[in-house]
Amino acid sequence: MVQLQEPNDIVPTSPLSVNGLIQNYAPPAGAYDEFIAANGTPRTHTRGFLDSINGIGREEFARRWQQAQRTVQANDFAFGGYATPEDKLRPWELDAIPLMISAAEWDKVSAALTQRARLLNLVLQDLYGEQTLVKQGLLPPELLYAHPGFLRPYHGQLNPSRHMLHFYAADLARSPNGEWWILADRTEAPSGLGYALENRIVVSRMLPDIFHRCQVERLAPFFIAAQETLHGLAPQHTENPRVVLLSHGPTSLNYFEDSYLARYLEYTLVEGGDLAVRNDQVMLKTLGGLLPVDVILRRQNSSDCDPLELGSKSGLGIAGLRQSTRNGAVGVANALGSGLVESVAFMAFMPRLCQLLLGEKLLIPGVASWWCGQPDGLAHVLKNLDNLIIQPAFRNRGKDGPTREALAQMSSTELANTIKANPVQFAAQEKVARSTVPIWRRDLNPAYLALRSYLVTDGEKYTVMQGALARTSSALDPLELSVRKGEGSKDVWILADGPVDQVTLLEEPGRAITLRRSGAELPSRTADNFFWLGRQMERAEATARLLRSAASRLSGETRSTSDVEVPVLLRCLADQGQIEPGYAINKMRGQLPAIEYDLPTAVFDSSQPSCLRSILDEVYRLGAIVRDRISLDTWRIIHGIDEDFRPAEHGTTTLSDLLAMTDELIAKFSAFSGVIMESMTRTQAFHFLELGRRLERSLQIISLVKNCFIPMPEFPGPIFGTVLEVADSLMTYRARYLANRQLAAVLDLVLTDETNPRALAFQFVQLVEHVEQLPRDQTSPDYAAEQRLAMSLLHSVRLMDIQAIAEVHALGDHEPLERLTAEWESQLPKLAEAISHRYLVHAAPSHQLADISPQ
Amino acid sequence: MNYHITHTTKYMYSEAVPVCHNLVHLAPRTLPNQVPDKFRLLIHPEPYSVSYGKDYFGNDVSYFSIYQTHRGLTVTATSDVAVSAAPEVVPDDTAPWEQVAAQLKTDRAVEVLDAYQYVFDSSSIQRFPELAEYVKPSFPAGRPILAGVIDLTARIYNDFTYDPRATTVHTPIREVFEQRHGVCQDFAHLQIGCLRSIGLAARYVSGYLRTEPPPGKPRLVGSDASHAWLAVYCGEAGWVGIDPTNNVLASTDHITIGWGREYNDVCPIQGIIIGGGEHRMSVEVDVVPPEVTS
Repeated sequence: MVQLQEPNDIVPTSPLSVNGLIQNYAPPAGAYDEFIAANGTPRTHTRGFLDSINGIGREEFARRWQQAQRTVQANDFAFGGYATPEDKLRPWELDAIPLMISAAEWDKVSAALTQRARLLNLVLQDLYGEQTLVKQGLLPPELLYAHPGFLRPYHGQLNPSRHMLHFYAADLARSPNGEWWILADRTEAPSGLGYALENRIVVSRMLPDIFHRCQVERLAPFFIAAQETLHGLAPQHTENPRVVLLSHGPTSLNYFEDSYLARYLEYTLVEGGDLAVRNDQVMLKTLGGLLPVDVILRRQNSSDCDPLELGSKSGLGIAGLRQSTRNGAVGVANALGSGLVESVAFMAFMPRLCQLLLGEKLLIPGVASWWCGQPDGLAHVLKNLDNLIIQPAFRNRGKDGPTREALAQMSSTELANTIKANPVQFAAQEKVARSTVPIWRRDLNPAYLALRSYLVTDGEKYTVMQGALARTSSALDPLELSVRKGEGSKDVWILADGPVDQVTLLEEPGRAITLRRSGAELPSRTADNFFWLGRQMERAEATARLLRSAASRLSGETRSTSDVEVPVLLRCLADQGQIEPGYAINKMRGQLPAIEYDLPTAVFDSSQPSCLRSILDEVYRLGAIVRDRISLDTWRIIHGIDEDFRPAEHGTTTLSDLLAMTDELIAKFSAFSGVIMESMTRTQAFHFLELGRRLERSLQIISLVKNCFIPMPEFPGPIFGTVLEVADSLMTYRARYLANRQLAAVLDLVLTDETNPRALAFQFVQLVEHVEQLPRDQTSPDYAAEQRLAMSLLHSVRLMDIQAIAEVHALGDHEPLERLTAEWESQLPKLAEAISHRYLVHAAPSHQLADISPQ
Repeated sequence: MNYHITHTTKYMYSEAVPVCHNLVHLAPRTLPNQVPDKFRLLIHPEPYSVSYGKDYFGNDVSYFSIYQTHRGLTVTATSDVAVSAAPEVVPDDTAPWEQVAAQLKTDRAVEVLDAYQYVFDSSSIQRFPELAEYVKPSFPAGRPILAGVIDLTARIYNDFTYDPRATTVHTPIREVFEQRHGVCQDFAHLQIGCLRSIGLAARYVSGYLRTEPPPGKPRLVGSDASHAWLAVYCGEAGWVGIDPTNNVLASTDHITIGWGREYNDVCPIQGIIIGGGEHRMSVEVDVVPPEVTS
């Protein structure tokens, strides 16, 4: 832990001058630099920060930065979605040096943002209502009619006075003369809030002392205002409305941010399939049934939100949502359709609209924009093609269209023809010079800056975030609308003139709270994910244990018993799908590549869904999906499991690599089990996770016993050891029986001993207990199907006479053991199905009825 | 003419459907020359509730949801409709087409502004250059708009083959244009795209045709199911309906349910179901004078 230095303790640790850190920093000429004034000295408001950095010294700064980067890595806060395992690989490039802006200057930006949010809301209300702007000729009708984002079903859905634009973001850039410009408006569901928050957490932890000394404004007031705004949208003003964050789901680039925000704001993270409309009321599908939802914080695009009205085939959204909002049964922020005004075409009209609707001049101008849907605009654009950035006039989220890059690559003639063919679809903007900021590499290098700033409002109170998401790029190319590859990010410090109030998202003191033990509110889909996380985790562990035992017997000095044990282990591995089935057959093994070489590669073959690497991918994917419901420590373990098990970067992975990796993995699996048992509240999520684990472990034990003892091997001695090792029961056995190995004792330990957490009976006891805890109608006199199945499994293992079975088995009569294992193997999937049928079915996807063609 | 209309749609699912939500455009619209009466919606299984409203284009819509597990859905819409002849428009007396196109761009009168929205692309009707080429011969300079429209309708009727198996509701008009066959909805979409290519306003009309023709006249194509045609904004003459599938102007044989920019805006039945597996469906439409049914 870094010892915090008090302000008066600062002793420069290296002989740097006051501007030591930045003395080699050379911003390019012609741009405004955020740190260095034109005369080469640091800008006044940055001096306190630079002095403090010099105070801790360059080396210490670098050391802290390295540590902070590790935090980012361990938290795996990436921009990526989870469509494919490769997506997650891009790390999040936060820069060590925050951007500093004085409070006085930020006040001006805030005023401009407030003005713009008011204006855009009025335009939205009008276009989704009376359309006076069009009727009176204040906006050209083409702007509305040609706009693919004008979603007619949402017209008239709200009372005309209802505020539509609750969350607004603007992209800002600073021109060489130091003035700010608005680059773009974000009105659909502004992204990046989570990144701004995470940036702040990382950088303020890295520089806690400097953060306090610099009197940095907090981000929390913004999130408090966001909560108040959302709660205010609840149809009935309840003390504690149910707010859900409606995400695109794990395949979306924004999923991590969605899940991060949901956790921070303490809202339930849902996808369309988690919600259903019943009698115009939006409901959350939970294990305990349907619970009414009061407010939806919408991250999905408007066009996906109601597949019934908009016929979207995306599989997202909630059928009937529009009817529900129309009847005022649910609050949605931003209102459905709010993305209409974020298109470039609208920017051309902002100065005039501001004058007309607010009677004011724009406080911060937008980048000069022309829309080709009007003769003047078209003429100007065609004349200045080379000096302008041509882009699609309308943003149609989630739909294909010509991209800015594609347009930029066209020749002038081609571009002119494309525009002339359908001018309403194109707009152009002036190229913008952006300001520069230093980014920390080994030295400080300049990069170009764009800011995304955020506002939240209930229509009366406007709250601008005292901070922002800074995006940096090394080239001056226009920034894409969404945060992309190769960009960097910075925390943004708004420096207050005086001491800053401490604000947190904690409840205000004195507010009465009803004590609760959360129960059945788990969304069914989440329960399903926990169940599978448990199963995959257990499957991975069982596989890793088998691999470790195999690798240790295949590598190094051959044990005397290896030739007996290896074939059995290979049979188990083949049964698991880790290796070619041929390895399990003695006669065929000779024709295959030596297992010593094949095994270390086979386990990484992601094209095989059953190989260990694929199972771990699945563990990671499921972990990421439920991340908003597991602790950070649990996530770190899952992340670590994923990181550890990778093929050697250089050369081939050997058996000893595999041995080391499986050792490491098994330690991490134990950590996972530990954190689950000791830190996870016994909620329904826990029961489903455990049901998954116990069910899978049961299947693994049965498979192990079958593969090792049916048929009974000729020389069973060494095999007893193998089974006990794989089943992690060797120590217990030694303590009980020393070196005396007998089938009955081994079978008792791995099958019938209820005190052994690795025994089948133990799993069945657990299954009965967890099934008992699932929500169900307590007044029903009968046992439910899943209860009966679990109890029957437990009874069968309790009633078996292990001594007798072992005796006849050793004599060659395999029938009794075979019969039992077959029965368990048929009952366990039935149990899984019964649970799924009762609790998880309404997680089923919905789809469109086929259209009927008129004739 | 008076009609009694019965429109039955059946869905059969291979697996149980616990929930379905539906939005239907099945009630004929009230118009100066069309007066619907006694609209009824019979739904099996019984829906939890049925609600009625208007869509953005002023058409009647009904919503219903079913929350009991079912393996089939039957929706029967019945109504009585009195249709009288629309005021006759003499094609050669209509304004030159360029004049109507220019008026749409500049005139801000409520009716014209409303018509103007039907000039633009919509998701299923995206114009392409070949379409503008195709439409040209029908619209030489100064030709009265309706005369041009009638000429274009005849060309589409002759150039394209009616083939119910050739397309689905999602076949893009480009494909219809290239393969030269389709059904009423394709021809309506195609002609709408043609007219929009030269700046005219054309909207998609969903409705019915009378089942049995008047004595001595041939039975119209598309009378066994719901039908589709289009209407063109002709300036002062207003909207004129025309049916490219049968190469006729819309008459008292055509009963209008509603209109929009394209099929998707006025699709008769839209539904979202959970589960259901594979599903099959069938449609029956009967449009007869009321005395026949009684």
